[in-house]
Amino acid sequence: MTQDANITADLFVTCIVDQLYPEVGVSVVKVLRRLDVAVGFPQEQTCCGQPVYNTGFNKEARKLAKRVLEQFRDSEYVVVPSGSCAATLRVFYLELFSDDPELLSEAKALAAKTFEFSEFLVKVLKVEDAAACGATHQGTAAYHPSCHQLRELGVKSEPKKLLFSVPGLEEKELEGAEVCCGFGGAFSVKFPHISEGMVADKIANVQASGAETLVSCDMSCLMNIGGALNRQGSDVKVRHLAQILDPDSQ
Amino acid sequence: MPEIKTEQFFAASAAAMKNPKLRRALDRVGSGFDVARISAIDEVTPEVWEQWRQQGRDIKVHTIEHLDYYLDLLYTNVTAAGGQLHFANDASQANEIVAHIARTRNVKVATKSKSMVSEELELNPVLEAIGVEVWETDLGEYIIQLAKETPSHLVAPALHKSKEDVAELFTEKLGIPYDEDIFHMAATARTVLRDKFMEADLGISGANFVVAETGTLVIITNEGNGRLCTSAPRIHIGITGMEKVIPSMQDLAVFLRLLPRSATGQRITSYVSMITGPRRSDDEDGPEEFHLVLVDNGRSRMLADPALREALNCIRCGACLNICPVYQRIGGHAYGWVYPGPIGAVVSPMLIGLKQAKELPQASSLCGACREVCPVKIDIPRMLLDLRHKSAESPDKSQRSAKAAERTVARLYAMLMSSPRLLRLAVRCGRFLQKAERFIPFFSPLSKDGKWIKNAPLPPLSKWTRSRDLPTLPKQTFHEVWQKELSRDDS
Amino acid sequence: MTTPETNETLGVPKAEFLQSVRQALGREDVPPAEPYPRLTETQAELEDQAAQIRRRLEENLPALLDKLAEMAALGGWKVHRASGVEEAIGYIESVARESGATNIVRSAQDVFDQVPVDAALTNLGLKVTTVLRDEANTREALREEIRQAGIGITGADYALAETGSLIILPRRGLSRLVSLVPPVHIALVRPEEVLESLDDLFLLRRLEYHQRGGEMGSYLNFITGPSRTADIEMTIVEGVHGPKEVHMVILG
Repeated sequence: MTQDANITADLFVTCIVDQLYPEVGVSVVKVLRRLDVAVGFPQEQTCCGQPVYNTGFNKEARKLAKRVLEQFRDSEYVVVPSGSCAATLRVFYLELFSDDPELLSEAKALAAKTFEFSEFLVKVLKVEDAAACGATHQGTAAYHPSCHQLRELGVKSEPKKLLFSVPGLEEKELEGAEVCCGFGGAFSVKFPHISEGMVADKIANVQASGAETLVSCDMSCLMNIGGALNRQGSDVKVRHLAQILDPDSQ
Repeated sequence: MPEIKTEQFFAASAAAMKNPKLRRALDRVGSGFDVARISAIDEVTPEVWEQWRQQGRDIKVHTIEHLDYYLDLLYTNVTAAGGQLHFANDASQANEIVAHIARTRNVKVATKSKSMVSEELELNPVLEAIGVEVWETDLGEYIIQLAKETPSHLVAPALHKSKEDVAELFTEKLGIPYDEDIFHMAATARTVLRDKFMEADLGISGANFVVAETGTLVIITNEGNGRLCTSAPRIHIGITGMEKVIPSMQDLAVFLRLLPRSATGQRITSYVSMITGPRRSDDEDGPEEFHLVLVDNGRSRMLADPALREALNCIRCGACLNICPVYQRIGGHAYGWVYPGPIGAVVSPMLIGLKQAKELPQASSLCGACREVCPVKIDIPRMLLDLRHKSAESPDKSQRSAKAAERTVARLYAMLMSSPRLLRLAVRCGRFLQKAERFIPFFSPLSKDGKWIKNAPLPPLSKWTRSRDLPTLPKQTFHEVWQKELSRDDS
Repeated sequence: MTTPETNETLGVPKAEFLQSVRQALGREDVPPAEPYPRLTETQAELEDQAAQIRRRLEENLPALLDKLAEMAALGGWKVHRASGVEEAIGYIESVARESGATNIVRSAQDVFDQVPVDAALTNLGLKVTTVLRDEANTREALREEIRQAGIGITGADYALAETGSLIILPRRGLSRLVSLVPPVHIALVRPEEVLESLDDLFLLRRLEYHQRGGEMGSYLNFITGPSRTADIEMTIVEGVHGPKEVHMVILG
């Protein structure tokens, strides 16, 4: 391993992974443990508050954000398997508490130790080659960057480095990769007609890429894209990056 | 002001989504401009581009913070150059200024070059009502004037019209034989409008920038109509928003680099015209009078709000429209007022009122592409979030427009997510419902294998499952998996 | 003709308008704490910078002329680099012949003393009118001449290598319309008129503004290639309201 065994990281698993995709959380834990990270999981965690923050209900968002600040106050690192939720902790909390110096300094402390999963591997653990995780994957894959990961966190190259170094995995180019899939939280149900149009274009590009698997670091995008693919009867699989890096995952 | 249709956003955007012709037109313009923009940036290198963006932003921020000072300086220098600067608080005042000038100077014919602000003010009907013939002369604007429509894009106002649409329009309005050759149609417009340019008593233009240091109005055009409007008639009136002032003529260098590249991907437009006062006594030609009308019309509301002030930095290049996945699907008219797209979703609520335009800030996935392309780095997603916040919780009740149901959902969500025990209970209920579903006759929202919700019975999930499947709740949450299988590993 | 009243107050008085702006900004009447550097430059400082620009231009002239030719061509100019006056006139004759024009208008700039085009064009049987107002030639009469012309010929005040633009400052002898109304425009550019960048241009303009006691002149125009539009289906059409064909003849 490239790292000393002293790194401990607490997982903020995100509500969507907790409720809908527990297998993603399992893969995250397994990958981190393979890389000698001592993984913790604060039991009281629920949601980062982005759904209410995004719809303008800051009072409610602050309520949920304060819980997160509390639960991860003593963490060395906080790892989040979602670019979008990581952006909430790292970027949006600073705005949410901009007028409260005490909470703002807590939010800053949290922001400084919060990393999106792929970013944590590359920047903190200095892992750039998926072989370090023992991953292999037979087949083709394309990568969809989530908007928040790309444009709020500025995490662009890290996930691709990891994904496309997986032995056996063949990279497929995704046209319009950086165009939003149309999820956008409440947007997807407030304006379903627009959101559907956006995801229709996304899955057309996914299908045109010829990839068997679409990989991302955000299950919310993948819930959207995967849900649309499934409705079309497509057999393209959607996977979180951690699932590809985890040799125990199928 | 033009008819405000922002409240029909939902229906208008739904109709637009079903219009394949519009989609093709949007694709052509959006990707055309965006590809050109990217290659123009690559040519100067992204590093240099970043420096320009920062310079442009810094100048704008400084000017807006000291707007009173620069407007005063501008006034001094417009006046010193022999021009007249008029201030207007709102649309009717601005229109009255122009109408007064037209009336007292016995104006019969006016030609206009493109001005979004005059669209905002809906100036044309005011002039027409006092017997002035008004001719839009930008080809796109001329087309939509003939069609009695409004612009659907900041830079390409008639993008929603196909060549067949334009040919039919010309046949109907100009009485010429149907000819869908684009070159012939442009030639027709040249011929028709050439006479008007020469006849016009009054030329009306917008302004891309006005320079405080020298009292200079700057317009950036490609067709040459802007030059004609500001050169041929005996009176020239420039109309623009008060935020268009910049301190020094030297500042133009960076904006002339940023604007054309961001708008159309050009290194520079065919023409940049800089007008300082009326013609001097020995000039060969040019207007005898130069007026500049600066309008507030709601801009001071933006100025007063630190969270939204930077919307005044906008140089109206349209890059955020071309990149926006929402605008690119619904086009400009769906936004229901003069300013469409991401920047319009910020500006319109501020100019016409958040309550009336409350849908616009919601109609974004907050993907952030607009911020990435903005030549003056306006943080549009943050402002959309701020407007959403105002809709939900503004202390000013007149701005609050979130529905009671939305408020309740938000409160319940926060309550649920504040209590892991309550959440566990809710998940169990969900799982129970999923199991019970098969015992309810004539009700089958789930797929046969039980892995997907295909047809949710109630909103908001039913909105989702219109065209997408939704995964059902798995047997265990991650919390449960952790406790059973993962937590011990770590000890 | 009506005589406009001077300094009419239309709309809101300045003081009231500025006060509402200040109110929105949430403060009293205070100038920027840090004065804007460009606005505090003295004429002497501008002269220094102008001298530096002139030096840099002289040192790099051949490269700048190449760059101007390259950028102007990219901008849509038909660029012709003439090694001498005869060649320049020959090129203008060939453009005139090919255009089929019968009437030509030109500005009254001193470049035509150096490049006497009138005789050559008259010899081709073309009518050449110099647009310069006098008792015989009223504004109206000259405007009609310009409308009838197939070609307009002007000199340059500056030419910008950065963008490939011709810069003209319409004034006595240089109509706004000669370069705009006829379907063909020919511009003569002398090496001493070439500037490197937009920054150079605006600095020199500001210097002149100071030197002339706050007089900018009424008009400044950048011309870069032909008039064009893409307003119907993104198809580029040249010559929509201005010239369809533009020639830049660089003397050197």
